[in-house]
Amino acid sequence: MTINRREFIKANAIAAAAAVAGVSVPAVASNLITSSDITKLKWDKAPCRFCGTGCSVNVGVMDGKVVATHGDIKSPVNKGLNCVKGYFLSKIMYGKDRLTTPLLRMTNGKYDKEGEFAPVSWDQAFNVMAEKAKDALKKDGPEALGMFGSGQWTVQEGYAAVKLMKAGFRTNNIDPNARHCMASAVGGFMRTFGIDEPMGCYDDLEAADAFVLWGSNMAEMHPILWTRLTDRRLSAPHVKVAVLSTFEHRSFDLADNGMIFTPQTDLAILNYIANYIIQTGRVNKDFVSKHTNFRLGETDIGYGLRPEHPLEQAAKNNGKTAGSSTPIDFDEYAKFVSTYTVESVSKLSGVPEHKLEALAELYADPKIKVTSFWTMGFNQHTRGVWANNLVYNIHLLTGKISTPGNSPFSLTGQPSACGTAREVGTFSHRLPADMVVKNPKHRAIAEKIWDLPEGTVPPKPGYHAALQNRMLKDGKLNFYWVQCNNNMQAAANINEEGYPGYRNPKNFIVVSDPYPTVTAQAADLILPTAMWVEKEGVYGNAERRTQSWYQMVEAPEGAKSDLWQLVEFSKRFKVEDVWPEELIAKKPEVRGKTLFDVLYKDSSVGKFSLDEVPEDRLNDDARDFGFYIQKGLFEEYATFGRGHAHDLAPYDRYHKERGLRWPVVNGKETKWRFKEGSDPYVKPGSGWDFYGKKDGRAIIFALPYEPAAESPDEEYDLWLSTGRVLEHWHSGSMTQRVPELYKAMPDALVYMHPDDAKKRGMRRGDLVKLISRRGEVQTRVETRGRNKPPIGLVFMPWFDASRLVNKVTLDATDPLSKQTDFKKCAIKIVKV
Amino acid sequence: MTKNTDSTTCEYHVASFVAYPILAQLDEVKKAITNIEGAEIHVTSEEGKIVFTMEGNSYRDIGTKMDIIRVHKGIINLSPVYHQILDETDNEKNEDQYKEL
Repeated sequence: MTINRREFIKANAIAAAAAVAGVSVPAVASNLITSSDITKLKWDKAPCRFCGTGCSVNVGVMDGKVVATHGDIKSPVNKGLNCVKGYFLSKIMYGKDRLTTPLLRMTNGKYDKEGEFAPVSWDQAFNVMAEKAKDALKKDGPEALGMFGSGQWTVQEGYAAVKLMKAGFRTNNIDPNARHCMASAVGGFMRTFGIDEPMGCYDDLEAADAFVLWGSNMAEMHPILWTRLTDRRLSAPHVKVAVLSTFEHRSFDLADNGMIFTPQTDLAILNYIANYIIQTGRVNKDFVSKHTNFRLGETDIGYGLRPEHPLEQAAKNNGKTAGSSTPIDFDEYAKFVSTYTVESVSKLSGVPEHKLEALAELYADPKIKVTSFWTMGFNQHTRGVWANNLVYNIHLLTGKISTPGNSPFSLTGQPSACGTAREVGTFSHRLPADMVVKNPKHRAIAEKIWDLPEGTVPPKPGYHAALQNRMLKDGKLNFYWVQCNNNMQAAANINEEGYPGYRNPKNFIVVSDPYPTVTAQAADLILPTAMWVEKEGVYGNAERRTQSWYQMVEAPEGAKSDLWQLVEFSKRFKVEDVWPEELIAKKPEVRGKTLFDVLYKDSSVGKFSLDEVPEDRLNDDARDFGFYIQKGLFEEYATFGRGHAHDLAPYDRYHKERGLRWPVVNGKETKWRFKEGSDPYVKPGSGWDFYGKKDGRAIIFALPYEPAAESPDEEYDLWLSTGRVLEHWHSGSMTQRVPELYKAMPDALVYMHPDDAKKRGMRRGDLVKLISRRGEVQTRVETRGRNKPPIGLVFMPWFDASRLVNKVTLDATDPLSKQTDFKKCAIKIVKV
Repeated sequence: MTKNTDSTTCEYHVASFVAYPILAQLDEVKKAITNIEGAEIHVTSEEGKIVFTMEGNSYRDIGTKMDIIRVHKGIINLSPVYHQILDETDNEKNEDQYKEL
């Protein structure tokens, strides 16, 4: 009997893989009925929990537990494929140390910052939290409250958090961990195009003739997109792949032109390509004259460090004018980039001249359709916004943009960095749909949609990620709630800036997480959190695709979703506790109500009844609050973008689709934005219309190469770059709990060139210390393996909680995007 | 049907994959796959994509076997597609399920 069941599920497995490979199904699997009849599995779709690719997976549930997952063959993103992380997705919820009760630091039954963690009820947890929040508000006002959220929050969670913080508590001190990941991309889009997120989509992968990877190891970080790229490269022999990085990694295996450059000199290479296009007469003059403007950007803008740092003292323009620019013309721009010759840039970057020329030719040749991909190499960069601006320059000079295969494409690292962090606007300076708090018109729109009195939303941008850690340390941010991230492991310079802030006696730190992460253990209160298909939600991926899923299993008893936590906590505050009398007087009917009433239940969020939740679906959050809260939050949020080039479809439709790419107008998604014929917002007859700018023109920026914040010197003689690996997702708090993934990549090693090891008397496997001006970390040497750094640079991943590389990194940020540069600092390595 | 190699678990795991080999090394890669206990190639596309399954008795077992292929020098990319587990602890329950058909 069992043998037959085995044969049956094996046939299913074959059928699924054959469909993915696009080959006919072998006879054994050709006469299948639905497997659910036999195996009692209930299948449903959900976007993957991990990276920003946005794969859809089919999730098989039996007896209340996820027991099978496979790539969703109906998904246009992954077409049935899985990566190794997605493959083990079903196991992330079942780690042995899953948290199921709130834990509070206590001594003798009472909260004590120096006490040990002890279990408390949710009621006790919220009592202490509310007391601490009210104390902080009373003492120092709304600016003493803050929150650090995530691009892994669902859209609804991010939106509920923004509303609670910006309107409820009236503080803009909310920022997502996407600040570490995407902020420079956001800055680049806003500066060049006046509107956020990529114009192209994944369909570019099958249309391009050439791919250029700028600081992106797609083979490990976006394996499914890499599979599509590999397929394109292998099935169309004319296709070329160029890969640029500061060290050799797995994506170089497929590269026709692999280039290792000296850190920070990507800025010079980008300007060289622009110069090459101009010098060889390949500027698309018609496109440039109709659709672009030229501007000269401010320079010497500092490194986003504390103001007293010598680098900030030395910088001339690190104040409010750092992002300013002045108009120039094409000739002035051409003169500006003319100094970036192949000789000078080859010398600066270390890339041979012929390789630079081959790269530039891919962009310059009008017959080649080019897609540029980038991730953290550009974004985690003290000139990250500039790097983004400069790659757009190249695509704009040649008109290679917004058409199939011609695509400057910023890839995201988190499942909803676009959907939640960017589109919802969980950044400290933002509101939904690309609006910003400092613009009075934008605040007025938000207050109108939220039906709140004028003046509710504060105008001053709040503390961004790096600043939050500094303000915690300085005792100015006293009530701090961290959800859905592991910032004590992820943030730079945790030795000097992170840990001292969490343990500052003036502060109360709350961390919500499914597992006892490094961050949770540094907190005062830990809240156990439901994850992924234990709740209903929506994610938005890197190609503007919005995807939803239903709750499929119950969370472990005691664990609650981030959404439930936020909304339930809001019941603890009367409006009088948080708003000044003059604000309440503008809308007296809110008097005596709770923030739960005002922000959620009695607002448009609360207007969808439980009748709309399908009867056969779990939805613990909705049933607990008494209304279809996920739909209410989504629909209210969607009001911000509809009619403003961020249109979303009605909520219910997403449950039926494998996602839709916004703007969704008249029921149709948009593949390529800014191009007539594919984007409904483009003015007829214009060809291209960069409507984020008032005159419809994108900006080509003249911006120079400027050095990194810290470079190797005699004492600290090596560059350190940090990053990720295939097997682990970010800090490893989920994937390190999957034994197979842990086994495949158990520890973070330091990858170094064999000559660098030899020079220091070290061998593969030796225990060593990485030492910077800020701290040290111990690990072992790896001189072989998948990452091959050049002489003078080492690479160490940051997924390993037992070896925190961020004790040594520098918290230098891009002064425009406030994103930290995790790719460049100076260290030395000594044998232990 | 491949037998479990380890009698310590009562689980039956089956997983399917698509391998993207370097064409010049197709035969070598296929040989490497079939050398693994519990692995079986079902079809190879014209472009050289190999559809194969692996059977085993634990995630770890499948994961270990998968790693052997993943690091093979002739492999450009290995995509896991499907994974399902049968808990065979309770044979009676399994029989009941089967009888329901």
